[in-house]
Amino acid sequence: MDDQSGCLPGPLAEQPLMLEALLCVENVSKEFPMNDGETFVALRDFSLTIRDIEHKPQIVSLLGPSGAGKTTALRIIAALDRPTSGQVQITDGASQKLRPVRVGDVGVVFQRYPLFEDLKVIDNLIKPAVSSGIPAKEAKEKALCFLDEFDLVRQGLSWPLQLSGGQRQRVAILQQLMQNRHFIILDEPFSGLDPVNIISVINLINRIAHQHTLNTFIIITHDVTSALVISDHVYLLGRKRDEKGEPIPGSSVMKEYDLIAEGLAYRPDIEDLPRFAELRKEIRLTEFPRL
Amino acid sequence: MKYEIWRMAMENVANKSTLSNARDSFGEMVRVYGSLGAFARSNLTIVWIGLLLLVWFFNPIKALPFPGEVLHAFRRMWSADGSQGLLYNVYVTLKLNIVGLGYAAIISLAIAYLSVIPLFQPVNKMVQWLRYIPIVGFNLVFLTLFTIGWPMKVAMLTTGMSFFLVTSMTGVIASIPRMKYELAKVLGYNDWQVFYSVIVRPTLPTMIDMIAQNAAIGWVMITAIETYNRTEGGIGSQIYGYSSTNNLAEVYAYLLIIGVIAVLEDWLFILIKRLMFPYSLIAERA
Repeated sequence: MDDQSGCLPGPLAEQPLMLEALLCVENVSKEFPMNDGETFVALRDFSLTIRDIEHKPQIVSLLGPSGAGKTTALRIIAALDRPTSGQVQITDGASQKLRPVRVGDVGVVFQRYPLFEDLKVIDNLIKPAVSSGIPAKEAKEKALCFLDEFDLVRQGLSWPLQLSGGQRQRVAILQQLMQNRHFIILDEPFSGLDPVNIISVINLINRIAHQHTLNTFIIITHDVTSALVISDHVYLLGRKRDEKGEPIPGSSVMKEYDLIAEGLAYRPDIEDLPRFAELRKEIRLTEFPRL
Repeated sequence: MKYEIWRMAMENVANKSTLSNARDSFGEMVRVYGSLGAFARSNLTIVWIGLLLLVWFFNPIKALPFPGEVLHAFRRMWSADGSQGLLYNVYVTLKLNIVGLGYAAIISLAIAYLSVIPLFQPVNKMVQWLRYIPIVGFNLVFLTLFTIGWPMKVAMLTTGMSFFLVTSMTGVIASIPRMKYELAKVLGYNDWQVFYSVIVRPTLPTMIDMIAQNAAIGWVMITAIETYNRTEGGIGSQIYGYSSTNNLAEVYAYLLIIGVIAVLEDWLFILIKRLMFPYSLIAERA
């Protein structure tokens, strides 16, 4: 792990600088042909830019109700699906040029945390890393460090089927981090969790994200509170409406909340702040019903 | 200190081959299955066998020979010489079963795994359709292609079993969730690595289950095939001979032998699966 690039959690003394773009989604549309010959528009002119934040990792949330195209957006950002139009660009690091995203550039922690069930936990970390070109010795050392750091040492020799949900989630995230990459999408990481576990997942994501300033986590969720607690930017995904108030097919970013500008980002006490409560209420009661 | 011990253990695992991993997990398997659970299971099996024997002793169906008659038939067949002997015929059929099953497994695995390549998909479909056609219908084709006797019997059994095996094995591959492929892709695996890590390696224990299940179909086919190729003998040939002379005790003696061999074969497959793929035991329990 590159300790030089790690960063401390918690609020910064002054407003951080927003540097160059790390990931750029430009006017992405995605259409699917239907059985009846019609076309289903999942995304329309979906755009967002994630910028490097000085001394901080980037944690953004794509927030929206079910059916808002969040998973389609995930698949396109991770290059698992091609957009019908538009493009996704990514950098190879700070001060690097943007280039079209390829499969493998962005890690994905899928919803049910799939792992290689036929490999022990430690091999789930080592083997994919070695397959992607990381020297075996380095991969082994890194895996052991991760297991130690994230309280999984005792599970290192277990099979994935023997893990609890929380342990599985940690292994799935660490598996992606083993790849020496900074972009990771987490699909509904808070889904089906009780409030105590949601807090521990938020802490886990924060901890992992703060290991490197270039770490960029995109969280796909419909959980308004968790999205506001963890993110520096929140993008509301939904469908625009025409003059008659009818929804236009295809989701796009309806609203962006810059929580750094709002003074809410990196605040451990965020839930005690009046502005947090206002924002949560606004999204839940005003914005969500319109999406 | 504890951490160091676990760390050392994991370093060992990271350096070990799959075979030594399997050996480690065999201990775990014995621990789980050597407990009271196995004792209870054995007792249940004994109770059921006892019940079946009871029904057999007092069965009202006159066509079914009584246990004593079957026992006498065993003695007669045991003391018979040469090609009429029990051991000789069991050996001939068992050899055919093992060789045919081996060839069928290899050919079917190849056809099933290749079905992920679009070029080979029509072959896979055709083989699956052929399972509706009785294999003995191809008797003349096999006769033309192979010498009568052993080669023809092996070819017929291999082909017949492959029709069923390919169908089951292709179903296993088709049921792999898309998420597994995508996980491998986002981890940077190339197509061959995806093929091995997502399609081949994790499905092998289930493929062994498929082979075990289809081995039963193999026994049905063997008896038919040996009836058509009686030159070398074998259980099928013997059953046909004894049936036509109305020696039903001998027929049932051979049926019992098939049942015992099939059960032992089933156990062997389970053992192989658990030794080679210890996580399959966890999956079964999960």
